[in-house]
Amino acid sequence: MSSRGPGAGKTILGNQICFNHAARGGHAVYVTLLAESHSRMFAHLERMAFFDERAIPDRVYYIGGYSTLAAEGLTALVTLVRGAIHKHEATLLIVDGLVSAHESSPTDAEFKRFVHEIQTLADLTGCTVLLLTNAQRASGFFPEHTMVDGVLHLTDELSELRPLRHIRVLKLRGSAPVRGLHSMRITDQGIEVTPRIETRVPQGVVNEEDLAAGPKVALGLATLDEMLRGGVRRRSITMLLGSSGSGKTLLGMQFLANGVRHGERVVYFGFYERPEAILAKCMRVGIGGLKEGVDQGLARIIWHKPVEGVIDELGESLIQTVGSFRPQRLFLDGMEGFERAADFPERMSHVYSAIAQELERLGVTTLYTTETRALFAKTIEVPINGLSAATQNIILLRHVEHRAAMLRVLAILKVRDDDYDARMREIRITDDGIQLLDTFAGESGVASGGGISAEPRVAGLE
Amino acid sequence: MVTTTSILIVDDEFGLAEMLREMLRESGYAVTLAINGQQALEILDERKIDLVLTDLMMPVMDGVELATAIRNDDKHRRTPTILMTSLPAVAVPPDDLFDAVLRKPFTPEHLVSTIAGCLEGRDAGATGAVPRRNDESASGGS
Repeated sequence: MSSRGPGAGKTILGNQICFNHAARGGHAVYVTLLAESHSRMFAHLERMAFFDERAIPDRVYYIGGYSTLAAEGLTALVTLVRGAIHKHEATLLIVDGLVSAHESSPTDAEFKRFVHEIQTLADLTGCTVLLLTNAQRASGFFPEHTMVDGVLHLTDELSELRPLRHIRVLKLRGSAPVRGLHSMRITDQGIEVTPRIETRVPQGVVNEEDLAAGPKVALGLATLDEMLRGGVRRRSITMLLGSSGSGKTLLGMQFLANGVRHGERVVYFGFYERPEAILAKCMRVGIGGLKEGVDQGLARIIWHKPVEGVIDELGESLIQTVGSFRPQRLFLDGMEGFERAADFPERMSHVYSAIAQELERLGVTTLYTTETRALFAKTIEVPINGLSAATQNIILLRHVEHRAAMLRVLAILKVRDDDYDARMREIRITDDGIQLLDTFAGESGVASGGGISAEPRVAGLE
Repeated sequence: MVTTTSILIVDDEFGLAEMLREMLRESGYAVTLAINGQQALEILDERKIDLVLTDLMMPVMDGVELATAIRNDDKHRRTPTILMTSLPAVAVPPDDLFDAVLRKPFTPEHLVSTIAGCLEGRDAGATGAVPRRNDESASGGS
């Protein structure tokens, strides 16, 4: 196990593995070589959930090896380790600070011999060995990497101002690890690793024919459902694209409330408004039934604070929720929340694609919102990513200036393989719910605000 | 004749034993180091040691095994033995083996007063020569 610098979490992970091993009946010996003192280590570990003081010293045993190394060299250190394995019947050995052994070694060849002797010891005793070391070495030579059976690399780096922890399996003989970087966090539970979500979801292609043959799901707004010729297809994904305040969230909540009215299970998954706030908002505008749905166990409101660098945890949370609760309807409010949590923006296309495939496989009908940057732009930018590529329907919501008034408007931009009414409607949010009005009958150029264009120009659509 | 009190520090953690040695030297004690219990027993047989200050977990022979060997040896059984450990209380062995337990981290003052207390306890029941601290160094304290 290596890291490029201190603080990457090697010692915590090494100890976590020790205590988990002990909890399963094994015996572990932890040897430190010029690493932090045992007192300091215990002080840090005491708050970790895995740290079980009752396991020390009978099942987890700590010894310092540097005094022996400094006084008598690598051969004496091997003797010390061999004695400790034998005496404590160790089935797991951790050597923390292997870099000290390398730096104390007169030649690289002697260090390689030391690693080889430790390997031989492991083979003879059946003891699993973890060597914790630093990948920043003056010589730039890491002979142990070629000798050991596996290499885990931990990193703690900044991307602009954002701290990112990752773990990577560089090598694991005799198995097929999931390669690449995986998110890692250090919490009071210890090290928590979330594999990249796109590697966990079976890759496949959405069967568009099956989807197009599925029944229609009404969104719950009579006019909109008429425009959609009865609603959206079951298992389809629909984008609500629009500017801030254009009514996207309320339309999504209307979709969920309609599901509850029909006895369906529904999930709200959002980042910005807390559950109580979102339910209160629905009540204020006449979208009833959701609170009751929550009380009856039909509706779940899941709120995640958009935390940096945990996109895989968010994806995992979403998929686990849908997989276990098996809702018929899902509303993802603010896909930007996923993007804010992304460690590497270039991953988003793969992440969205994986999520879309999994949602389709789980059979849920999904609406999600995504925000346009400008309130009044003449060109509408549809985000092109893995999710929009898997999106069957796009509904545009925006503000327009019309006869010296600012109006909210709605138009269907795309319905895959189905007929729809493309006319623009005014959205009015009243105490009795959302109303769609045919305010613009006979007019053109409404979306552009200029009164001369017949249709909005749409960039980025297929 | 003034006899310097001799302390044997037994600890496998590099740096800690050396630091303790300096602290105790400043308090007027003569200090010897060992990195495990086995080495400590050899030193006890070779030279006069007035008090043993030992870690718990060490390679080859740990603190409990060392204290047991000391208690079972007629020549050394009256040598005060102090356990120093950073382990939680639950992991500390029964204290009838040790004259005192020092929980890490501890202050130099606490270390010196614990040692002094153990030596006084031993001296209270002693019949032979009573070792004492080097006056000159002791006045410097740590």
